Amino acid sequence: VHLTDVVGILVETVVLGSVYGLVAIGMTLIYGTLRILDMSQGSMVMAGSYVGWWALVTHGFNPVLALVIAFLITFVLGTATELVSVQPLLGRKKEADLEMVTFITTFAVAIVITNVALQHFGPFQKRVPPIVGGNLELYSGVSITYHELTMAAISVVLMAALGLWLARTRWGLAIRAVAQDLDAARSLGVPASRLYPFTMGLASALAGVGGVFLGALYFASPTAGDLPLLQALIVVVLGGLGSLSGTLYAAYLVGLMQAFCEVQFGTTWTLPILYAAILLILVMRPYGLRGSPSEARL
Amino acid sequence: VTGTLGSLTPGRWAPIAAGIVLAALFPLVYDDPYYMTIIVTAEIVLILNISWNFILGIAGVWNFGQLAIYALGAYSGGWLMLHQDWLPTPLAIVGGGLFAAGVSLLLAFPTLRLFGIYTSLLTFSFAQVFLFIVVNDPKGLTGGTFGFPTVPGLFSFLSPTASLHAYFWTMLGVVILATLAVAWIRASRLGIALRAIRDAPSYAAARGISPLKYRVIAFAISGFIAGVAGGLYLSYNQSFTTAAMGLTPMSIDVTMLVIGGLGTIWGPILGTSVLTGLQVSLVDYPGIQLTILGAILLVIVVFVPGGLVGLISSIRRRIAAWVAEEEGDEPPEDTPPAEREEREALSAEAPSPSVPLEGS
Repeated sequence: VHLTDVVGILVETVVLGSVYGLVAIGMTLIYGTLRILDMSQGSMVMAGSYVGWWALVTHGFNPVLALVIAFLITFVLGTATELVSVQPLLGRKKEADLEMVTFITTFAVAIVITNVALQHFGPFQKRVPPIVGGNLELYSGVSITYHELTMAAISVVLMAALGLWLARTRWGLAIRAVAQDLDAARSLGVPASRLYPFTMGLASALAGVGGVFLGALYFASPTAGDLPLLQALIVVVLGGLGSLSGTLYAAYLVGLMQAFCEVQFGTTWTLPILYAAILLILVMRPYGLRGSPSEARL
Repeated sequence: VTGTLGSLTPGRWAPIAAGIVLAALFPLVYDDPYYMTIIVTAEIVLILNISWNFILGIAGVWNFGQLAIYALGAYSGGWLMLHQDWLPTPLAIVGGGLFAAGVSLLLAFPTLRLFGIYTSLLTFSFAQVFLFIVVNDPKGLTGGTFGFPTVPGLFSFLSPTASLHAYFWTMLGVVILATLAVAWIRASRLGIALRAIRDAPSYAAARGISPLKYRVIAFAISGFIAGVAGGLYLSYNQSFTTAAMGLTPMSIDVTMLVIGGLGTIWGPILGTSVLTGLQVSLVDYPGIQLTILGAILLVIVVFVPGGLVGLISSIRRRIAAWVAEEEGDEPPEDTPPAEREEREALSAEAPSPSVPLEGS
C-alpha cells in the first residue's frame, strides 16, 4: 500500500462518512424519538437531488439558496409523510407492531414519492451541477473536488448544529426527553404528538440537503435514493438504532471500509464485503456498536 | 386448536373443490392469449406470495429478502437447465428450489440473534446487496440486467397455445399444492410451534419450543417454495432479469400480501387476484400505477389492518351476530373455531393451556 493510497482512502473516508452521517443521522433521530424506521428517507435524498437540479439548472439560483429550498421542501415532505404514515397508527397497537407496520407505511410513501418523481421528471438521469467547481490537489496524485470538500464541511456543520440544538434548545431538549421517557416527558407538558411530525421533517430535511450534494456525484433520477437508503440502513444498524454517537462512528467506519474496499477490490465488491462485515458485527453484537435495548437514547 | 385440515367439513370442502375444478376448466372456455399470459404470470407471483406469507405472516419473521431467494431459485434452476442436460426440466426447477431452500436456511441463523426491526433491515439489505451483485455480475453467471440466457421451457415441444394452457395447469397445480402444504403445516405441530414463537416468544420458550429448530425449518420450507416459483418464472418467461427482483416487484408483492391479509391461507390468493385485476385495469396509465399501489398499501395498513380476509371475517361475524339477534337467540360468543383460526393464533395475553405444544 502506497502513501498515496492511504491519503486517498483517508480523504474518501471523510467525504463519504460525512454524507452518510448526514443521511443516517436523520433515521437515528426518528428511531430515537418515534421508535420507527423511516424507509422514506431514501426518497427524501432523491427529492433533494431533484430540487437541486430544479433550483440550479432550471432557475439558476445561488447554491446557498438551492440548499435552503431543498431543506424547506423536504422538511414539508417529511412532515407530511409522518402525518399520513405514522400519526394515524400511534397508540393503536403494541410497540413491536408499530415498528413493523410503519416499516411498511413509510415504504409505501417512498413508493408514491418515487413514482410521482418518475411520472413528473421521467426516467432519465438529470445532471446536477456541483455546488462549488474546481478541485484541490492535496498530495501528489490525490485531489479532492471543492464540491466534496463543501459537502463534507456542511455535513459536519449540520451534524454539529443538530447536536448543539438537541443539547441546548427547548425543542431539542423536548425531543430528547420524548426519546428517553415518553410518559415522563408527556406529564411534564411536552407535546409529543406535535413533536413527531417536526422531528421527521427535520430528519428528512437533512437527507434533502444531502441529496443536493449527492445529486452532483450520482445524478438525480427516480431511483437515486435507493443506494443512499441502503447505505444509511447499514450505518444505523451498525451504529445501533437510536444512538447518535453510534451513528457517527458507524458512518465514518462504513466510509472507511468503503474507501478501503474501493481501492483494494474495486467498486463491484464494496457493497457485498460491507454487508458481510456488518452481518458479522451484528451476529456478535445484536444491537449494533452503541445501541442497547433499554438504554436511554439520543 | 381444532382447525386442522381434517376438521374441514364437506360443506367447506365442496365450494373449494368446485372452485378448483372451475379454475381448471377456465382456459377451455376462455382463450384470450393476452389475459391468459397475465393469469399465468399472476399464478407464479401467487406461488412466491404463498412462500412469503408463510415466513412473514405465519412464522412471523419479518423477512424482506424473499425476492433474492426467488431469484436464487431461478438462477440455480437455470444453471441446471443449461449445464446439466441429463436432468429433466422439472427436476432442474426442483433442484433450484432446493438450492434456494439451502440459502434461505442459512439466512435463518443471523435472524435468530436479532430482534424485531433488525431482522427486516438485515434481510432487506440482503436482497438489495444480492441485487447489486447480480447487476454488477462479474462472471456473467446470471446475465445481470440483460437477463439469464434463454433456457428451453417446460413445454417447448407444444404449440404456443397448448403450451400456454399447459403452463396454466402446471402453475395451478403448484398453487394448490403449495396452499395445501402451507395450510397443513399451519395446523400441524410445526405450525402451532411457529405461531407460538411469533405471538408469545417467552411462553414458547417456557414450553421448551426451540426457536432455532423451528425457524430453520420455516426458512427452508419458505425458501423451497420461493425457489420453485423462481424456476417456474424462468422456465415460463425463458429468461430472468433483475427487473423481477428489484424494489418495484417487492413493493407489489408486499402490497398483495398486506391487502389479502398476512398470516392467513386465503390472504395471498385474494391479494394477488385483487391487485392483478387492479394492475390490468390500470394498464393504460402505466405512470400512475405504482403511485396508486403505494396509496392503497398505505390506506389498507392504516384503515384495514387485517387485510381483506380480516375484513371479510369481521363482516361475516357481524352478519352472524345480526342473524342470531333476529332469531331471538343470544349472539354467538365468538367466531367459529375455523374462522378464529384464520385470524389469529395464540396470543400473549391468553395462552390456552390446552394447546398441544411440542416439548423438544
